[in-house]
Amino acid sequence: MTENKEREENLIEIWEDNVDVKDLIIAMILCIGFSLGGYLIAFGEIPPLIFGLGGGVIGFIISSIIIKPKRKLTITKEDDA
Amino acid sequence: MDAMVIMQMILAAVSGAVLYTLIGIAPGTDETAVLAPVTIALALLGLSPYVILAFFFSAIVAKKLTDSIPVAVAGIPGGVMAAPMVEHAMILKQHGLPDVSIRKMASGSVIGTLVSIPTSLLIAYLILPVADILSNYAGLIFTLGAVFLALLTRNKLLSLAMIIPFAILIMGLRHLYWGLGIIPEETNVFVSFFLGITIGPIAFTLFELLNKKLRKEMPLLGKKEIEMKKQKKLNGFPNPFKILTKKESLTSALGSLFGSLTFFLTPVGMTVFWGEIMTRHIKDPVQRASRAISTMDGLTNATYISGTLIPLIAIGLPLSPMAIGPAAGLFNAPPVFTPENNIHHMLTISEIMMATIIGAAVALGITFFVTIKYSTQICAVVFKYIPHEALIGLFAGLVVMLAYMDAGILNIFGTILIALVAGLLYRNGVNYGVMFMVLYAAPWLLELF
Repeated sequence: MTENKEREENLIEIWEDNVDVKDLIIAMILCIGFSLGGYLIAFGEIPPLIFGLGGGVIGFIISSIIIKPKRKLTITKEDDA
Repeated sequence: MDAMVIMQMILAAVSGAVLYTLIGIAPGTDETAVLAPVTIALALLGLSPYVILAFFFSAIVAKKLTDSIPVAVAGIPGGVMAAPMVEHAMILKQHGLPDVSIRKMASGSVIGTLVSIPTSLLIAYLILPVADILSNYAGLIFTLGAVFLALLTRNKLLSLAMIIPFAILIMGLRHLYWGLGIIPEETNVFVSFFLGITIGPIAFTLFELLNKKLRKEMPLLGKKEIEMKKQKKLNGFPNPFKILTKKESLTSALGSLFGSLTFFLTPVGMTVFWGEIMTRHIKDPVQRASRAISTMDGLTNATYISGTLIPLIAIGLPLSPMAIGPAAGLFNAPPVFTPENNIHHMLTISEIMMATIIGAAVALGITFFVTIKYSTQICAVVFKYIPHEALIGLFAGLVVMLAYMDAGILNIFGTILIALVAGLLYRNGVNYGVMFMVLYAAPWLLELF
């Protein structure tokens, strides 16, 4: 089909910012997997919640590395007066 | 209170300030979604109430200081509460003054914080004599609160009509879990339902994407274009009272006072209402915009602080939109905090004030300084390196995990059900406040039948 015809315009707006659905699904799988996984594998005296939170943070960091933000930033320089 | 506890509070406040300085800048982050899960998680971890309270106040002050930065540099609200300021900030931006607007907003925030803490204490003292009566009628008050908030929404009829069905959904799931023996009776699933409501709008949009027809109709967008201007360097430690003119300081203090008095109404509504009333008479557009943003930023800060602090000190029940939303973890995070035994009952008034002041002071010290000096740089870092997908993913992860923690795998699906219903209602003009009130009112309300 012609769905991927224009790679430039394939984002949708969620929560007032633009996201790529495929990337969003990847991020959600990673974060949910790591936080729930962390909670489930918890061991020892440490409460499982800590493992879960840690897992969530790991998922967040991995997604931040593999997913590029969909923002185009232009910085104009202030003329020194 | 010994030095150890004070040190812990300061540490908690520092981490809250750093974390929420960054989160505040990320566009579109909803206050309830980013503050409540973290506070609830800290409470469930069993940290001392002092630490949680200091963390919370530092987080909220830092977030309120920074969520106006993207408004000023890019015209994107960094949070729901910053939305009313976009119009005025854009005027200043068009006149090439984005750095002025950041400084004015941040200074307004400082004034809002300074005014609202003592005002809240005063109001709490006035309410205190009737507080016992209020807490005896909690169920009734939450129900009336739901009706009251429903009357303030965009879609009053639907908001009123959904009160009982939504209560049935909540209690229905609870009774199902009890009936199946997933959780012991008298254990109330709360946290995951609360978060389900919070992520409702996002969940609803995601499920809509599964519908091919709707997906095709959805407007496709390119990258979000953000333009920023490098700002001039500022020397020395900034003084909010020098950044604002006398008149601006005065209106933002006055606005903050009114904002504190109307703590039980919706913060966004009050910000627009008082902010517009107090600046309407000014003719010059730049002066008006500058007065409006400093006043509104003070106001939002004040409604947030007083909305948390007054119910916390006086009543111990979350009887304001703020307390029932972003600050919910301080009032109810079972089994650690319950409406009968939460921070209100565990700490004395002076202990609550102490934690509040430490939290607010640390956040003001760190975040105000950083905001004024390095706002453009922080903005650039957040916009460049933090993908929105990862933020949404993180919150989804937290919600799923907490849902599992509350009542097992079945509750992950139960929470999705609540989220979908909440998202549908939100889409049609029922706001969070009404749904949160129903969540609290449900047991009492359905016993009437």
